Amino acid sequence: MMAYLIIMIFSLLCLFPFLLIISGSLTANESIIRDGFHLIPKVFSLEGYEMVFIFPTQLIKAYGVTIFVTVIGTLVGLFLITMAGYVLQRKDFKYRNHLSFFIYFTTLFGGGLVPWYIMLTTYFGLADTYAVLILPGLMTPFLIILMKNFIKSAIPEELFESAKIDGANDFRIYYSIVLKLAMPGIATVGLFLALTYWNDWFMSSLFINDVSMYQLQYYLYNTINTMMFVSQMATGTGVTLGRDIPTESTKMAMAIVVTGPIIFLYPFVQRYFVKGLTIGAVKG
Amino acid sequence: MRKGKKKLLTIGTSLFLTASLFAGCSSNSTNTKEASSESTTNSNSNSNTSTPAPEASEATGIDTSKKVELQFYMLGDAPKDLKLIQDEVNKMALEDLNATVKFNFTTWTDWESKYKLLLSSGQPIDLIFTAEWTNYQSYAVKGAFLPLDDLLPKAAPKLQAYVPQDFWEAVKVDKKIYTVPAIWKEYVNDGIAYREDLRKKYNLPKPESLETLEQYLDGIRKNEPDMLPLADTEVSHVDSIRQMTTKTVNTNDKVPYGLSIMYDTPRDVTSYWGSPQHLEDLKMFRSWQEKGYFMKNMLNIKDSGSDIFAAGKAAAILGSENPNRFGDAVVKVKSLHPDWELGYSPYPNMKGFSSPVHPIHNGFAVPRSSKNPERALAFYEKLVTDKRYNWLTQYGIEGKHFEIEDGKYYKMLGDAQSNGFTREGMNGWAWRNPEFMLFDKSYQAVLDMFDEMDKIAKPNIFQGFGEDWTSYQAEKAALLQVEKQYLYPLNDGMVKDVEAGLKLFMEKAKKAGLDKIQAEYTKQWLQYLDDANIK
Repeated sequence: MMAYLIIMIFSLLCLFPFLLIISGSLTANESIIRDGFHLIPKVFSLEGYEMVFIFPTQLIKAYGVTIFVTVIGTLVGLFLITMAGYVLQRKDFKYRNHLSFFIYFTTLFGGGLVPWYIMLTTYFGLADTYAVLILPGLMTPFLIILMKNFIKSAIPEELFESAKIDGANDFRIYYSIVLKLAMPGIATVGLFLALTYWNDWFMSSLFINDVSMYQLQYYLYNTINTMMFVSQMATGTGVTLGRDIPTESTKMAMAIVVTGPIIFLYPFVQRYFVKGLTIGAVKG
Repeated sequence: MRKGKKKLLTIGTSLFLTASLFAGCSSNSTNTKEASSESTTNSNSNSNTSTPAPEASEATGIDTSKKVELQFYMLGDAPKDLKLIQDEVNKMALEDLNATVKFNFTTWTDWESKYKLLLSSGQPIDLIFTAEWTNYQSYAVKGAFLPLDDLLPKAAPKLQAYVPQDFWEAVKVDKKIYTVPAIWKEYVNDGIAYREDLRKKYNLPKPESLETLEQYLDGIRKNEPDMLPLADTEVSHVDSIRQMTTKTVNTNDKVPYGLSIMYDTPRDVTSYWGSPQHLEDLKMFRSWQEKGYFMKNMLNIKDSGSDIFAAGKAAAILGSENPNRFGDAVVKVKSLHPDWELGYSPYPNMKGFSSPVHPIHNGFAVPRSSKNPERALAFYEKLVTDKRYNWLTQYGIEGKHFEIEDGKYYKMLGDAQSNGFTREGMNGWAWRNPEFMLFDKSYQAVLDMFDEMDKIAKPNIFQGFGEDWTSYQAEKAALLQVEKQYLYPLNDGMVKDVEAGLKLFMEKAKKAGLDKIQAEYTKQWLQYLDDANIK
């Protein structure tokens, strides 16, 4: 009973910052700067939301991009990662260790930002495409290794052999046995992938010039931080703050608009997350 | 792989063939007389025609027979209606130059690293913004931009004539022009912005010197106990005090690494850090903190000082208002608090001289990766010298984004939130043209300030100096850390024992390599003075 009480209090404390954001989004900007944040708005105003919805198309578009990228990226990524993991753990695959090392090696040594940027822009011509938001995140070495180990531990070797004797070919084994039995691992990896795609802003920041192709996170990040970046610049640069700089209350309203739908979605998908993560933790 | 190679081959061949076709065309159409009489050799190699192509609609000597798309890069955020503007511009550019333009913006998020990537990746870019604060000089030395000396007379003769000769001279790096400087003369010096209404109300002196500033702050402290006297955050007030009390060579960007260089004796470089004057200033900041002129936790405040000032939380700000920003603040405050009045004391008035920005401050360069440098320059000439292009890209579409008031003033339609292209919405600082410029009515105050500055103007000898820190990069980074840890608290008056604090900071800074940095910087600075003939 006591434990429940403590957890309840703790959960309520976790709500606190969120309530502050909600209240901030409903407060007049002046009042935020003058009096700081309060749980109950001192001067109630909807100006923050008005400003967010003056150009709603951009926001909706950004939402669309992020959802599209997350869904496609996660599905395709899972397909590739499970295939790679499955192949890499097959004992009868001669070069599995070499290939595993090859994949693992990339996590230790990378070319650095500039060569990577040059490769994606000039050699692959991926700048300003949706592909650039999806492709680089598809095959994460860490997730491939995780998947490989998971399949290794979750599915006994003998199963493959008996399936083979029953006349199943490799693909048949992959989608009838591996995919079914490795479900918890797949859920875990899928969660990782989806979160990475959902929270990604870096790719937009580097490769996307077209405002209508921004991912949601970057759209938000950029809007909110413009002020910060510009104010960091010395007056000597002569960069003037355009007069449409988002105000504190706009920032808060934006945060609500962006996180709101996810928060409502979360309770429904949460149980899958928990299951996948715990199983992944025990067997991973 | 093979398929790609094949494709390349076909493209290559067809390109070669078309090129030879044009070469053939032009050599057929040129009369031999021209070839013999004109012994002027064109040192340009990137065009296969040394004579104007017959299709060129302008009198420019460039070949516009092939349609190209120019990649144009600017810092900052794209205006909401960029597409509209781009389409309008392209209608004209297609007709005039057989070219279209794609306007790209880096956004302010991590713009420095993006800028570096753009210039180092070799992706085709035709025009990019340059300034001393984007490290124009060091990029030019590294060969990121094309030299324009030979291109200008051919591709943009009008622009070449339009920009004064001394501007061209001023932006030269290693005796070559790498950027097209802006012509409009502006001042970006700092000044004290303060609440004039409160000053009158309590009959305080105008803050026009250190002494009167202290009296003003003291008066605010006594009469308005709930109000902060100063809105400055972090350490933005420190350079301002230097501007106020010395004739330092810079107008805004500080002389780095704690060095002190005076305008009248630029060859005489001394260290301000650790000097008796430095100690005195720090003691003053300590007393200010004790008297409660500063915020208590100014090192950690994330709001910008100008916001805090504009919201009425503080009575003055020392380190973030140049004339332009102050003009903005006045407009903003007027709409929210009609009963307030703001005053402004520019530091040049206290120093006795002002310096306009150096021509390097705003410019556009053609990166080495450009595929169409000639067309790029010709287009840029249009942006600067053709009123239709200039107005479109500076103010938007007349009747939709702005209208002209009383025959000469700019008036924004709607407000900043609903307007899709505010004034200078494309951050077109570099192609401002004094002949076409439109100002908001309220901007008159800023222009008056500029006129005042003009009266006491001396040339800017500091901004043209491009520091090259490659030889002491590690020390520079280490020093910045030491500064943040040991000097910032002193600057904000957080340390009780100022003398010991300063001693500690100097020790740590010397350990980080301060002496080496200062010596190197001084050497480069003297070299620059020699090159620029500044005595």
